[in-house]
Amino acid sequence: MPNTIWTGTISFGLVAVPVRMVSATRDLDIHFHQVDGRTGERVSTRRVSELDGEEVRWEEIGRGYDLDGQVVVLTDEELAAAAPERTHMIEIEEFVDSSEIDPAQFDHPYLLLPGSDAEGVTRAYRLLRDAMAKTGRTAIGRVVLRSNEYLAAVHERDQLLSLSTMLYADELRDASENDAVPPRELWAPKPAEVSTAVELIDALAHDFDPSTYEDRDRTRLLEMIASKRTSKRKSESSAAREPDEGGTQAAPDLMAALRESLARARGG
Amino acid sequence: MAPRSLWNGTLAVGEVIIPIKLFSVVQQHRVQFREVRLSDGARIRHQRVNSESGEEVPSAEIRKAYEREDGRQVVLSDDEIAAAYGPRTKAIQIEHFTDAAQIDPIFYERPYMLGAQAGGERAYAVMRDALERSGKVGIGRFVLRTREQLVAVAPHGDALRLYTMRFADELVRSADLDLPAMDREPTAKEMEMAERLIDALAATWEPERYEDRHRQAVMAVIESKAAGREVAVPESKAPEPVPDLLAALTQSVEQRRGHRGGAPAATKARRKTPANKPTPGSKPKPTAASKTRSGTS
Repeated sequence: MPNTIWTGTISFGLVAVPVRMVSATRDLDIHFHQVDGRTGERVSTRRVSELDGEEVRWEEIGRGYDLDGQVVVLTDEELAAAAPERTHMIEIEEFVDSSEIDPAQFDHPYLLLPGSDAEGVTRAYRLLRDAMAKTGRTAIGRVVLRSNEYLAAVHERDQLLSLSTMLYADELRDASENDAVPPRELWAPKPAEVSTAVELIDALAHDFDPSTYEDRDRTRLLEMIASKRTSKRKSESSAAREPDEGGTQAAPDLMAALRESLARARGG
Repeated sequence: MAPRSLWNGTLAVGEVIIPIKLFSVVQQHRVQFREVRLSDGARIRHQRVNSESGEEVPSAEIRKAYEREDGRQVVLSDDEIAAAYGPRTKAIQIEHFTDAAQIDPIFYERPYMLGAQAGGERAYAVMRDALERSGKVGIGRFVLRTREQLVAVAPHGDALRLYTMRFADELVRSADLDLPAMDREPTAKEMEMAERLIDALAATWEPERYEDRHRQAVMAVIESKAAGREVAVPESKAPEPVPDLLAALTQSVEQRRGHRGGAPAATKARRKTPANKPTPGSKPKPTAASKTRSGTS
């Protein structure tokens, strides 16, 4: 069971639905402890003042902001004052077409679950969920997490309300600011090249089945750990590998490469 | 001006090799704080110490250790970890293509932008236009820094975007959760009113209309504190669930209608009011229905 990281309500119109929020992702990364290589003893982090080297306890730590050379110190409570009324509420501001949202704006996914098993709560939750599933729309609102206000998108997914924090539009760089992106007016490909590329894409197309992909590096790392003796013997394969060369040259004849690839895709 | 690329290599589709550069897309504008001591604003440094002796450990002596299920510790150097991973290729190898519409955006983890290296522009433009026309995205793998990533390459405007992707087992499924029963279906009337309310709040998605008000509010708090004023810390109250769902829905739809000056509720036209301005009367009022709340589990 994932931890509840936020409790509050999501409201649309006058209907307020008590919900709790959990992360929609599980951390399956392999985590390491830091140890002192000389003794194998654990390393821990100590927070010390840069001024006098004194240890600073967690309760004595605040957030500092450099305002024109002056350090302004805020407590978490003072920072929360910047978004008081939304701390425990997600107010739906509008409903938009899900397909209109640039997926790059989605930041982290969460799940909204009914806040309790009381009938009034589950009924209101289910009504919002079912109505959103039926209309296929995404609700836009804002949520305060860890003293930061985020734009949030809520939609129905897998019988639950799914919430994603969002980046603001100005937090995504535009392609026009980047010289390396070939502008259409300068680099218009030949129709025959595009058609052949579309044929190649279609020949290599199949349905998306996320369960067929595994995190191969996670598996490789776990295998290495399992096979390694607990002694500190240096593994034989420890020499870092050089990147393989691959081809870094552009295919000299694009059309020939497209045709060759297409023939192989169809042949195989 | 081109920003600095994160990685240079090739995008490989069959025999078509496109020399490309990888750029970040995200440039966060959140107000950045650093850890300081509350009493005097002194900066905090993270010191790594031996947990037995309390002595500081030089960074050259720090190793990673993995605790196995049998409780024994395996100590690894960064080189050993790098060697365990797959080969560090310099190519984004596209394995197949799939309909863009089939990919739930929850699989997209982090977006990047691809650019072309000199000489790769034409092939880049062909791939971008072909993906756009076919409505597909390329699925492949490549190694970013040390870790192999599953990635999707998709057209976006003039550019090709690359998204690193989450693996299916990294997503929480509703079956893994302990959820209360929700077997009572909404009534037809409730559904109708909820749909009407959604229609009344429907708008065209215009991302640039949303600005980060919070950034400004945080800066205002900082400036107020800098000027020596006390920052008021307000209490926030959670609204209660409404006792009569249908009545609340009906009232909400009526309010939205009134708000539009009598326009039909179901129009999907862009609303004239800025979306970030709270609608008068749209805040749920606390009610006495506390018996419907039995606390969160």
